[in-house]
Amino acid sequence: MSEQIDQALARKYDAGFVSEIESETFPVGLDEDVIRRLSAIKGEPEWMLEWRLKAYRTWLKQTEPEWAHVDYPKINYQDISYYSAPKSMKDKPKSLDEVDPELLRTYEKLGIPLHEQEMLAGVAVDAVFDSVSVVTTFREKLEEAGVIFCPISEALQKYPDLVKKYLGTVVPRGDNYFAALNSAVFTDGSFVYIPKGVRCPMELSTYFRINEQNTGQFERTLIVADEGSYVSYLEGCTAPQRDENQLHAAVVELVALEGAEIKYSTVQNWYPGDENGKGGIYNFVTKRGLCEKNAKISWTQVETGSAVTWKYPSCILKGDNSVGEFYSVALTRGKQQADTGTKMIHLGKNTKSTIISKGISAGYSNNAYRGLVRMGPGAEGARNFTECDSLLIGDKCGAHTFPYIESSNPSAIVEHEATTSKVSDDQLFLCQQRGLDPEKAVSMIVNGFCKEVFRELPMEFAVEAGKLLEISLEGSVG
Amino acid sequence: MSQWLAHVIERAAAVDDWLSPVRAEALAKLKEQTWPGRRTEAWRYTSLHAVEDLSLATESSVQAEAPAIAGLDALDLVFVDGRLTTPLADLDLPEGLTIRALTDKSEAAEHVFTKVKPSHHLFGLVNDVLATQGVVIDVAQDAVIERPIRVVNFASDNVESHTRVLVSLGKNAKATVIEHGSGTGHSLNTAFAEYDIANEARLEHYRFALHQGDAIHVGGSHFKLANKSRLNSTLIGYGSQLTRLDVDIIHAGEHAHAKFNNAYLLAPKEHFDLHSTIEHAMPNGTTEENARGIIGDKAKAVFNGRIHIHRDAQKTLAELNNRNLLLSRGAQINTKPELEIYADDVQCAHGATVAEIDEEALYYLLTRGINKQMALVMLNFGFVQELVFDMPNKALADWLQPILKQRFEDMMERS
Amino acid sequence: MLTIKDLHARVEEKTIIKGLNLEIKPGEVHAIMGPNGAGKSTLGYVLSGREGYEVEQGEVTFNGANLLEMEVEERAQAGLFLAFQYPVEIPGVSNMEFMKESVNAMRKARGEDELSSAEFLKKAKAACKQVNLPLDFLKRGVNEGFSGGEKKRNEIMQLIMLEPKLAILDESDSGLDVDALQVVANGVNSQRDGKRSFIVVTHYQRLLDFIEPDYVHILAQGKIVKSGGPELAKEVEASGYAWLGQAQEGEEA
Ligand SMILES: Nc1ncnc2c1ncn2[C@@H]1O[C@H](COP(=O)(O)OP(=O)(O)O)[C@@H](O)[C@H]1O
Ligand SMILES: [Mg+2]
Repeated sequence: MSEQIDQALARKYDAGFVSEIESETFPVGLDEDVIRRLSAIKGEPEWMLEWRLKAYRTWLKQTEPEWAHVDYPKINYQDISYYSAPKSMKDKPKSLDEVDPELLRTYEKLGIPLHEQEMLAGVAVDAVFDSVSVVTTFREKLEEAGVIFCPISEALQKYPDLVKKYLGTVVPRGDNYFAALNSAVFTDGSFVYIPKGVRCPMELSTYFRINEQNTGQFERTLIVADEGSYVSYLEGCTAPQRDENQLHAAVVELVALEGAEIKYSTVQNWYPGDENGKGGIYNFVTKRGLCEKNAKISWTQVETGSAVTWKYPSCILKGDNSVGEFYSVALTRGKQQADTGTKMIHLGKNTKSTIISKGISAGYSNNAYRGLVRMGPGAEGARNFTECDSLLIGDKCGAHTFPYIESSNPSAIVEHEATTSKVSDDQLFLCQQRGLDPEKAVSMIVNGFCKEVFRELPMEFAVEAGKLLEISLEGSVG
Repeated sequence: MSQWLAHVIERAAAVDDWLSPVRAEALAKLKEQTWPGRRTEAWRYTSLHAVEDLSLATESSVQAEAPAIAGLDALDLVFVDGRLTTPLADLDLPEGLTIRALTDKSEAAEHVFTKVKPSHHLFGLVNDVLATQGVVIDVAQDAVIERPIRVVNFASDNVESHTRVLVSLGKNAKATVIEHGSGTGHSLNTAFAEYDIANEARLEHYRFALHQGDAIHVGGSHFKLANKSRLNSTLIGYGSQLTRLDVDIIHAGEHAHAKFNNAYLLAPKEHFDLHSTIEHAMPNGTTEENARGIIGDKAKAVFNGRIHIHRDAQKTLAELNNRNLLLSRGAQINTKPELEIYADDVQCAHGATVAEIDEEALYYLLTRGINKQMALVMLNFGFVQELVFDMPNKALADWLQPILKQRFEDMMERS
Repeated sequence: MLTIKDLHARVEEKTIIKGLNLEIKPGEVHAIMGPNGAGKSTLGYVLSGREGYEVEQGEVTFNGANLLEMEVEERAQAGLFLAFQYPVEIPGVSNMEFMKESVNAMRKARGEDELSSAEFLKKAKAACKQVNLPLDFLKRGVNEGFSGGEKKRNEIMQLIMLEPKLAILDESDSGLDVDALQVVANGVNSQRDGKRSFIVVTHYQRLLDFIEPDYVHILAQGKIVKSGGPELAKEVEASGYAWLGQAQEGEEA
């Protein structure tokens, strides 16, 4: 029986191809000069360079975190190139027609046609290739609504005050080892600003692609939703199949001002390495949002890729009545390792948070949920509900749950539940007896297990997520 | 490096008895330990500042009696400041039960000492090297010892002491052991107990860690369960300046069953930290753990409940439930129920709540005319009291219930 | 004693009681019958003031007071008792401390002195005996691990102890064998003193053979659709509720 399950899960990595694109890539190594050069190429304001250098100096004093339930060889940070951009991007293309056709083909192959007319209506895309943003679509339409959606490098030039006001306010420069590194060397990423009271007219999305060898990707995303506004943002990522590990250390900061709502969805499909654990992306990401009064931030993630994942999208519920949500599906197989979860920091009164985490482990993988729920002394009447379920497929993998609960307010209510289960032979037998092949049966069971999370994904992504897990979203296991 | 620990290491060199070779191993491990700080996961929420440079007398001549418990006819073994004051030769022991001092060489001691307790407990290692006056309780195969054995561990003032209890339960044996600790003075007591429970043996166990005030109490109870053995353990803890307990329950055989209930009631400003680890190393084991805490004003409770299912431990059933109640704004709970699972055909669950109230139960009480405040008191204390009711020994339950109720009412008043 | 006028009430978003009228005088016994899901239990919850059960419209007076304005415990202290269809288990709170607290709350409300422990114990023992529950029940958690029948008897024991003015018995007979039924009925009958009133919710004529009602009402779809004397119950027993002319939900509500 378990052989059949393995087969069902042994999907190929479809995004593993390499694009033949001429690039300008820094030699490997990191020092202050590299940061200066990088900042110069980007034409950044002086304060930005200073900010980066300060982050770098903090990073030098920090040590790589070792508390996560993951195990990987020490990274040599001098063996990584900190900047790589397609040559054709040197003079930034003004429109899609000027973009290198090979680049466009890359995105088409990934199922993300950048030509607006071909695109799923209603989704604006920013595509980041190695270290730079190649194109952002639907910009005019967004501008009409007053929405700013552009590469962060561009925002630094066009809206330096806005960026300066919010950058590092949610994830401080020296927040942790990887965030400090990112702050020093981030190359590109998206910047979003939704003005007061505006409901962003379409879904925004960014696709990240690592192509070049030996490069790290350090993107930085900053989303500011001004008072009473709303935005839904999606993020996808892929990388070629390579034998060596590549580092991806991103930072995402969300600011939801009074009454604003940000919905942030991720489908993470970085190259996970081969079945023997060779190659794959190290996905060490810091994501955090800040909620002012009555604001809401909702993180949804479907994590299927990366060799090692270290990621805790979090919410600081500072304002009264603010709401944080975290919905996660993490699937690990082969030799993948994931240590992921969230932090909900309740500071304001009547703040609410919900955490639904579904971990699926197969093969020789290890999958850990790590979460923190903190009720501060001022979190009067706050509530949290957490549900963490793990599904084990096979007896060589591991599923772990490490929830930290800290409360110092007597009126705050916290509820945490965790269970583990397996795809049982009985379940499989029942499905087969009803005429389903085992592959389909496993898909259905896994899909049923993840239902609560998939429901939170925007339509387009739900389909993609379903495909990623080789799960048809149609059938649901009752 | 802590002055205190440096001193411990110095003193350890002077200990010379028949266990010296084993103590030497522990000392080597102790020397490798770094003094825990905030980044040490096992001490994340508990500061050892009060111990770091502590310097207390290492001997005392205080005398104390075992506290009487109505209706309890127990065999009392009394430790005062780490000194065994009960003359073992005078004990009238039932057949099948042997009690020796740790100073006397015995097979049972050899078999159990440091063999059950995991060696990563810093203070456990301290106890390994310094506890010379322990007791060794040896229950023969098939022996059923009806009379509970109580180890009283009293810490007086201005003294540092180390208490060790070793228990060996032979095949199909049955016994009840109570570890009864107390003390309010400025003292440091480490108290570690190891239980080796053979095939089909049954242990009923209680640990009352009732240290209060300035007492610093660090200890552990560690159990190794062989095939088809059973453990029913209840731990009741107060906080004190610093109370830290580690409980390890190791399923080393198949089809073992462990039930572990624990409750902590923290008066204002007290600190209590309980780390429990359930290791399922073999198949078909079951564990049920209930942990419940009520935390008074400016008190801090730490609960870490780990369930670790090893690769071979298929068909394990393990459940942990932790519930907490804070009585005021200054009270704090840090709880971390953990699951670490490497076998797929198992059923494991944990839950943790803070301040959850069963609305249906509340409604039921209200429909009987009980006002809301009183109903909440009843329910809140009720969830700890439930564990008291659950204790198999009724004399102990009847003794504890009013004591805990009084403590709870005092806590309510002062919070 | 109790007057319900045009009562409408809902649970969550669903209106369940839809224009219910009922008048109960001291000493009367009213039986309420009706199909599953008719709203019988809901009526008990609304009258006792359960959270989440919202009155949309109508009036309820209880001995001259506006019942709907009172808190749950105030209603109880005013003499309204509800014997639950499914009594909740409260492990950790002993029957003894629970009943003592409750009895004394009632006595206080009536302006009587609290009972001493000895007096209370005497009374509790007598009540236990009356409903045929062993004494060690007093030491156990409220309803904890009780069988269905024991739970029902425990409710009747509370009725005896608390001496309410109006008792609502929600299916106190369901799941009982004949002997247990007799115990419950005897318990109830012992409390009929010409002043105390009862609302007896049941599916079966059987109970009404033991506790003879003055009136029988049929509750369907949130309303009393028919009222009559004891003969109405016999009619229902014989022909069911089909004559109500609507599809009935099969499941237990
Ligand atoms: N909490 C609730 N939420 C929604 N509907 C409910 C709830 N409780 C009861 N109901 C519905 O109210 C109706 C009446 O239930 P109930 O009063 O229990 O019926 P009865 O006691 O007459 O069998 C049923 O349709 C039931 O499904
Ligand atoms: Mg009903």
